[in-house]
Amino acid sequence: MAASNMKAVKLRIKSVQNTMQITKAMQLVAASKLRKAKEKADHSKPYLNILKSTLTDIARENNDFQSPYTKSGADENRWLYIVIAGDRGLAGGYNSNLFKFMEAERAGKDIDVLPVGKKAVEYFRRRGVNILTEEYAEVARISVSDSFGIAKLICNEFSANHYGHVMLCYTDFVSMLSQIPRAISFLPLSDLLEHTLEWEEMNDDGKNSAAKKAAEDVAASLEAKDLGVILYEPDSESVFNTIVPEYLAGLVYTSVNISVASELAARRTAMEAATDNAGEMIEKLSLYYNRARQASITQEITEIVAGAEGQ
Amino acid sequence: MATFQLQVVTMDGLIYDGEVESISLRSVHGDIAILAKHIDYCTAIGMGTATVRLPDGTEQKAACMGGMLSMMDNLCRVIPTTWEWSNEIDVERAESAKKAAQERLDDARLSNEARVRAEAKLRRALVRLSSAGK
Repeated sequence: MAASNMKAVKLRIKSVQNTMQITKAMQLVAASKLRKAKEKADHSKPYLNILKSTLTDIARENNDFQSPYTKSGADENRWLYIVIAGDRGLAGGYNSNLFKFMEAERAGKDIDVLPVGKKAVEYFRRRGVNILTEEYAEVARISVSDSFGIAKLICNEFSANHYGHVMLCYTDFVSMLSQIPRAISFLPLSDLLEHTLEWEEMNDDGKNSAAKKAAEDVAASLEAKDLGVILYEPDSESVFNTIVPEYLAGLVYTSVNISVASELAARRTAMEAATDNAGEMIEKLSLYYNRARQASITQEITEIVAGAEGQ
Repeated sequence: MATFQLQVVTMDGLIYDGEVESISLRSVHGDIAILAKHIDYCTAIGMGTATVRLPDGTEQKAACMGGMLSMMDNLCRVIPTTWEWSNEIDVERAESAKKAAQERLDDARLSNEARVRAEAKLRRALVRLSSAGK
C-alpha cells in the first residue's frame, strides 16, 4: 500500500470529521429549538380544543341556520389544500413523507394549494400545481396575525364559491421519534363535524391536558342534557360567522406550531443518525489507515532486511 | 357570593382557569357582565376592558379583544384573540403605536385599506392604554 493511498484515507477521515461536526451541531441546535417549539405547540393546544368543542356544540345544535361556511355552492371536486412543510431540508423524511402523503390525498381531485414553508412552495411549483398565494412561504415566520390572514383568505375564497372543500395537511407530532403527516378538514363545517371524532381520537395520546379534559366533560354533559337553550347575542348566525375565521386561524396557528415541532424532532433524529454513522465511518477508516501504515512499515523493514542480506 | 369557573384561553395558552365571582367585558353588542348561574350563553367579543372579580373581592383588569365568550353549565369559557392583564400591558409600546397610527391617519393620501388598518391599530392601542389605567 502506497503512501498516496494513506494520504487519501487521512483526507477522507478529515472530511468525515468535518461533516460529523456539522451534523452534531445541527443535532444540538434542533434539540434545543425543539424544546421551545414543543412548549409552544403544547400551549396552543388547549385553545384549539376549547374552541373546537364550543364550535361543535353550536353546530350540532343548529341545523337550520344559514352560514356561508356550512355549505359551498362550488363544485364538489374543487379542493384547496393548505400544506405545511419545512423551510429547509436535512430533516430526514419530514418533507418527503408529507409530499408522498399529499400525492395520495390529491389523487383524482382538482386541487389548488396554499403552501406554507419553502419546501412546499418549491415542490408544488415544480409539479405545476396551482398555487393560491406564496405569501406565507416561510413557516418559521408565521405569526398569529399571519394565521389570521390565512384564515381570512380561506374564508373569502370559500364564501366566493371558489372551492368545494378546504383541507389542511400538516405533520402531527406523535412522539420524539415518530411524526406522521395528516390531513384535517377545514370547510365546509359539515366536513368538520364528521372529522371531529377522528381528530379527537388521534389527539388522545394518553397525555390529555386538564383543559382538554374539562372541555370534553362539558361537551359530554351538554350532549346528555339535550341542547337547544343557548342564548346567542346578537344571534347564532353572526356569532358563528365571527368565530369561524377565529377558529380557522387557531387551527392554522396550532398546526404550524405542531409541524415545526415535528420538523425539529425529525431533524434531530436524522442528524443523530448521521453523527452516529460518521463516527462509525471514522472508526472504519482509522482502522484501514492504521493497517495501511503498518503494512508500509513492514514493507520498509522487509526492504531494508532484504537489502542488508543482499550485501 | 356564588362563584363559577372561568377559563380564559388564547393561542398563547391557558391564561386563567379558576373560580370567579363575575366577569364583565365588551361584546360586539355592548358591555356585558356574567355572574354565576347565567343562562347558557354565547357571544362574540368586541374590544374593551375586561374585569374579572375574584372570590376574595379583588378585581383584575385586562385588555380583551376579539374572539368569543360562551357560558355553559356554569362554566364560562372566554376565547379572545388578545388578552393582556393590565399589569402586563406595555404602556410605552401602546403609546408609540397610538402615535404612529394617528400620524398615519393624518396623512390624507392614505388608501382606504391602510386607513382601516391604521384605525384598528389606533383602537387597539387605545383599549390597551385604558385597560392599563392610564
